[in-house]
Amino acid sequence: MVAGVAAVFFLLTACTKEVPVTVVYIGDSTQFNPKPYTIVSPWFFPTQMNIPADNPLTVDGVFLGRTLFYDLRFSGYQSADSQMCCATCHVQENAFECGMNGAFPNGHPVGITGIATPNVMLPVVNLVWQNDGYLWNGLIHPDNPQANRRSLEDVVSMAVYAHHEMQSDTNKARNAIAVISGYKPLFKRAFNTETITFHLMAKAVSQFIRSIVSVNSKFDQYLLHQISLTTSEGNGFVLFVTEQGADCFHCHGGDGNPLLTTYQFYNNAKDSVFNDSNDRYGVTGDPMDHGAYLVPSLRNCELTPPYMHDGRYTTLDEVINFYSEGLVNSPYVSPLMHKIANGGAHLTPQQKADLKAFLLTLTDYDLTSNPAYGPPPSFP
Amino acid sequence: MKNFRFLLIAFLLLVFFFSCKREDPIVDIPIKYGNIGFQFTHNVDGQALVVDTLIYTNAAGNNYMVNEVQYFVSDIVLQNSNGTFFSFGTGSDVHYVDSDLPSTSTWSVPDNIPVGSYTSIAFTFGLNEVRNLSNVFLNPPESNMFWPEFLGGGYHYMKLNGKWVDTASNLSAFNFHLGIGQTYDAVVVDSITGFVQNYFTVTLPNSAFTVREDKTTTVEIIMNMEKWFNTPNVWDFNECSATMQNQTAMQRAIENGGTVFSVGPIQ
Repeated sequence: MVAGVAAVFFLLTACTKEVPVTVVYIGDSTQFNPKPYTIVSPWFFPTQMNIPADNPLTVDGVFLGRTLFYDLRFSGYQSADSQMCCATCHVQENAFECGMNGAFPNGHPVGITGIATPNVMLPVVNLVWQNDGYLWNGLIHPDNPQANRRSLEDVVSMAVYAHHEMQSDTNKARNAIAVISGYKPLFKRAFNTETITFHLMAKAVSQFIRSIVSVNSKFDQYLLHQISLTTSEGNGFVLFVTEQGADCFHCHGGDGNPLLTTYQFYNNAKDSVFNDSNDRYGVTGDPMDHGAYLVPSLRNCELTPPYMHDGRYTTLDEVINFYSEGLVNSPYVSPLMHKIANGGAHLTPQQKADLKAFLLTLTDYDLTSNPAYGPPPSFP
Repeated sequence: MKNFRFLLIAFLLLVFFFSCKREDPIVDIPIKYGNIGFQFTHNVDGQALVVDTLIYTNAAGNNYMVNEVQYFVSDIVLQNSNGTFFSFGTGSDVHYVDSDLPSTSTWSVPDNIPVGSYTSIAFTFGLNEVRNLSNVFLNPPESNMFWPEFLGGGYHYMKLNGKWVDTASNLSAFNFHLGIGQTYDAVVVDSITGFVQNYFTVTLPNSAFTVREDKTTTVEIIMNMEKWFNTPNVWDFNECSATMQNQTAMQRAIENGGTVFSVGPIQ
């Protein structure tokens, strides 16, 4: 006799078929019966995923992480005006950035105490395929000599501690969750223990973040031969992937790299003076990394202003104008910016419009509306 | 009597032939194997490449630096001294080299190689038309080498990126990239009429080596970077600093490619 039936519905979008997949959990709420969580993506996405061996994705782990991701008590504060969670800044409708339409109108989030983050946000989307270091400078990397600066789980901890984010500590956060009796069965199902630790909280949140994938934009549907691009979008795509055009693809991928980034770190010719200690040079000490930052994915760029690491551009038009005629030379510019001598690609107004039309095909409305990525039906 | 003689001769002949035809037992001589590995290195003017440093001068007089070089070698063929050829199996037929990823400079081929003396090593620089299909490499770093489908698809054979001091004394960037070329309509601007396979075969000079039983022979394959820019075609970055969509430039580059590789110590 089954002691109880717990049904948790995960509406995952099977983008290869455009059919929602319902994963149903059935079992005793006190049993540990981990069911692997499967990430579904079109065939042309990478097959190698950045999932640590000690934290595989399970249906229950992802669900617990999703609940914590949206639970304001995660910050460890009791007062409602001090509470904060991952979703405070990582907003689903804005492709898991804060955007410029919500709590942070300038697109630059501030923490509980009003201190702004050093840089603007990066989306927590498709991180399961990011291998060469998290954050704008790649600080979080398996080779980091600091043992607590190596994994996505460490990034979750940093968000709790950081004075420009939650400014809390992991004990407070753990205590705030551990006193909620309804969380115990969720931890039991996810990790086979009712003893709640921050270590497990970070693991669960990381599982949920790794489950967030953007794989069903109009561009993906085009690559699957399900739809056609308009003439303008198609012209923009050609500009995107041609060296004599806008030459975006060497850094931002394309039909052979659907992540729309190489996840490498480059100086993209924004400045000639470099004094940001949080740039890539601050991590590697390699002089060629002055002014270098992570190449962000262009997926959902329509939803993720402001742009560049410091948010200096608020519209895609400004970004396109920069790459067209605003490049600034310095000894540290990546050689992939090979139009540097001319200051940019010098696109015509029509070409700029076409390029923008293509960029808008990268928006994934499944990502922004998928209930599996939204708040849980209820909190414990 | 004649019959007797005939029968005797016939008998003796039969005895002779049958005795000669007695089959010796077949002895299987086991084939012995060794292994081979490759070490890919990059030189400029006989010295190990120093990246990110403006210290080189090419035949055209350009002061230049190399930031990174990334490329595919494929279909390695070993010619045995007995005239036979040995090719690697599936999984060992393509190797990616990336100067930013030290682990790619060493390639231990898992295939068992018959022992013996070999007279030469040859390989394809890049990928031939059978292998060079879009999305055959789904994971980085190889996937980052993709060559847009619009331009013929598949992958860059090579990205060689760097900078040089241009005629205005500015530090400019060059992208010396090889892959599938295009032919363009003479009238309609940017209209592609066909594609050109630019991969080429390299037969390494002085590449004789020996494979010994249960030993690994390591061959150093050297890319002599300056030769991309001087033999036989002198390359001036002021005239061409980006090769994609420029088949004339890529043709000149692959002509130089035939002299680029040499063999270092074989151990």
